[in-house]
Amino acid sequence: MAAFDRAADDAPTTVQSRPRIPSGDNSVWADVSPLLNAACQDLQEGDLIHGDNFNLFAAMSALEIMDPKMDSGMASTYYSLDEAIENGAAPVPISDDKTTDVRCIIDIMDHLLACEATWHKGHSLAQTVYSCLYLLRPERTSSHALLHSYCQLMRATCKAVLSVVADSRTHEEEDLFIMSYGLPLSGDGNERCLPLLNAVEETICRQLRACKTSSKRRVTEDIEPLQNNPDLEEGYCKALLCRLRFRKHFYHLLMSMKRPQGGGLELAREHIASCISEIAHIQKSSDFLRASAPEMSEKNIDNTTASGCQPIGFDASLNCRLSAPTPPRAIKIFCFEKALEYFVKLLHDLDIICSYSLDPSLEAALLFVVKFQKSQPDLVSRAHLQLLLVQNGKLFGRYPMFSMITRAAGLPEVAENHDIQKNEFMMQLEQMVVTLLKIICTNAAWQRRKLGKMLQDWRVTYVQLELAFKKEFGNTSSNENIGFKIFQHILVWVEEQTYWIAFRFLTVGFELELYSDHDYCMVYWYIYIVLINLAEKKHLRIGMSSGIGKKKTKKKRDSLKDAGMNYQISAAVKFLQSQIYLAEGLGMMLAALRNERRIFPPQSPFSTEHEIFIQQFELLLKACLPDGISYQTYKESTAQANFSTLVMCDYFKEAQKIAKELKSNFANDPEMMAELRRIELVAERNNIALTVISRLGTPDPSVKISFTLSHHPFFATAIVKRS
Amino acid sequence: MEHEAGQPVRVQGGSSDGLESDRVSRVRKLLFRQMLVGIKDGRFFLGNFYCIDKQGNIILQDTVEYRSTRRSSPSPMEQRCIGLILIPSSCRTSCHVDCSIDEQLSLLSLPET
Repeated sequence: MAAFDRAADDAPTTVQSRPRIPSGDNSVWADVSPLLNAACQDLQEGDLIHGDNFNLFAAMSALEIMDPKMDSGMASTYYSLDEAIENGAAPVPISDDKTTDVRCIIDIMDHLLACEATWHKGHSLAQTVYSCLYLLRPERTSSHALLHSYCQLMRATCKAVLSVVADSRTHEEEDLFIMSYGLPLSGDGNERCLPLLNAVEETICRQLRACKTSSKRRVTEDIEPLQNNPDLEEGYCKALLCRLRFRKHFYHLLMSMKRPQGGGLELAREHIASCISEIAHIQKSSDFLRASAPEMSEKNIDNTTASGCQPIGFDASLNCRLSAPTPPRAIKIFCFEKALEYFVKLLHDLDIICSYSLDPSLEAALLFVVKFQKSQPDLVSRAHLQLLLVQNGKLFGRYPMFSMITRAAGLPEVAENHDIQKNEFMMQLEQMVVTLLKIICTNAAWQRRKLGKMLQDWRVTYVQLELAFKKEFGNTSSNENIGFKIFQHILVWVEEQTYWIAFRFLTVGFELELYSDHDYCMVYWYIYIVLINLAEKKHLRIGMSSGIGKKKTKKKRDSLKDAGMNYQISAAVKFLQSQIYLAEGLGMMLAALRNERRIFPPQSPFSTEHEIFIQQFELLLKACLPDGISYQTYKESTAQANFSTLVMCDYFKEAQKIAKELKSNFANDPEMMAELRRIELVAERNNIALTVISRLGTPDPSVKISFTLSHHPFFATAIVKRS
Repeated sequence: MEHEAGQPVRVQGGSSDGLESDRVSRVRKLLFRQMLVGIKDGRFFLGNFYCIDKQGNIILQDTVEYRSTRRSSPSPMEQRCIGLILIPSSCRTSCHVDCSIDEQLSLLSLPET
């Protein structure tokens, strides 16, 4: 093998055919190309030479070399980072002309921001932010304070964001995000990055002041200007300052949010406000930068910079091998405008999180997350929210989960430290609450899958708790023991919570567009069933904690629906009632449309209605939510629906009425008021549609009935049109 | 046209499908051996020979990729594991198998075609 090495060195032309890769001991590399070529001629079309363990299916997963979509090792412009640097792909300074140098640095900053937004949106770090050659070699920029400080802070910011997302594990479906193998993230001490940036900022501040005064009074200052062209000095100083300050505040913001127990949220809000105002300055600087860009410069087709010039020092192909084992992906870096838009949204989302009151209430926390998720926040803000919610197994790192559960179950404070919390099923319950909090922070698709799966766990835990309860207290129905009370309350709360999860599971399906129009009937019917149970448990739980609850609920349905009669029903339960009427009304209207042949279910060769029912609700049925529900029950309860009886039932009118009444209860809650208005609107529109359809009498083929979700995220509105 | 090159011979005690040319059975003996394949852009792949088809496309298992870090040669090589790969015959420039010197002589002695 030594001989081979020498042979290769002596004759570079043979490098291609005689590699310097050592063969085994006492062996040589024998050229088998002629043999292979000859053997291939002997093969029949479609024949393979392979061993006994050959598996065609496995072979199909082989990476195809030289296929640009699979082969991340394909040589691009440069063979390596070193070669790129030696060829001047990332010079330091970027130009000897100081004006050009500053202009190019601003382009680099802008492109990095665009890369950062693209990374946050789920692409790999290596192909986005770390396509910057300056970031890949921390030591190279040290002679250039401005570029060096910015790069240092950029690396530190990436590291901070990465750790939040990695810790929160909200990224499961966006797992490219945290891949950072082989990238210099911490490199030089991150803690030293701020002093340098502050010094640079201070210098530019003075340069800005100097140029402003010198233009008026022509006083020669001892301050060296930022660059050579006095006409551009002010513009470039301002453009740099807002970019540096944005970076600084963004980093401070991340650090403040990381403080334990939400201790830095106030401070974080200040930095958010600063970041937003710096973004406005960045936007303002665009006109100046575009105007002062040289006409001859290379056009930036993706518009990733404010100036419209192509940034220097970026090459995404150099480290795409680091993203192994995933094949390289074609990515498009955000344009500069879109990147700024992304950051503004991120900052607003973070501001919502920071302004949360950290109430010691599980219910409030869950509702807050559900509300937060409505604006479809991105990964980074969801990760921050999740880390804030659960720290060290406590709510906000402050409140032990067991005491939060007892509070949610309406128990007195004495219960919070009761020994029952050492019961293994109580501990299991605490764990499930933690998991629930984490799951509702994930993206809708992942969240729905996990919620569906966890329903069974909640059900099983309920049964286990119930058994433990019976074992401890027998079948007595009344007991003044606090332990008895804790069990009793928590059992009801667990059931209520389970239905809450089921309801969320069903409604997220609308957001994900998992239901076709023809499934709506069964979906609303199931939502109606789940809501009835949820309202019943909630009513029971609220009743228990205020001491007026009945020990055993009969069929709660009728008493619940008769809202006017029962003054004890709380606003929260009444709100559920309006939704119950709406869901029932929609379910029955759809069933009547089907029964009276005004809409026709598609004749699909793939799935029968029964199969679709199972597919949609399998997880609910498996968890017995509620007991005794099956396709059969659905068919039976919808078979008789028709328009003549439907008009009499006034589901929509009831829903509308309750929503109207409730407004006085939620006058201080704008979100809730908006929701009530939506429910009122949907109920009203559907009521009109119902009246129109029933007046038509016999089915008229020229009348088209369709459903839209334009007024409410999951309650559809019927639209009747004559074609 | 494949048949005019080598006469199909019955492999003794070898493959189960009976008729197979001498050259095919010699390639079959190379299966699972360490194979080093060079391709047009200067990279080398070292892996276990897993499969070859009529067109000369090769599949290697447990492959390590070797690539130069500079265009000018000779330059230092960098390597990484890339697992199961398919090397299309169109980009293959060289192909070597790890063997003893005795074996090398017998491998190289192809009957005249």
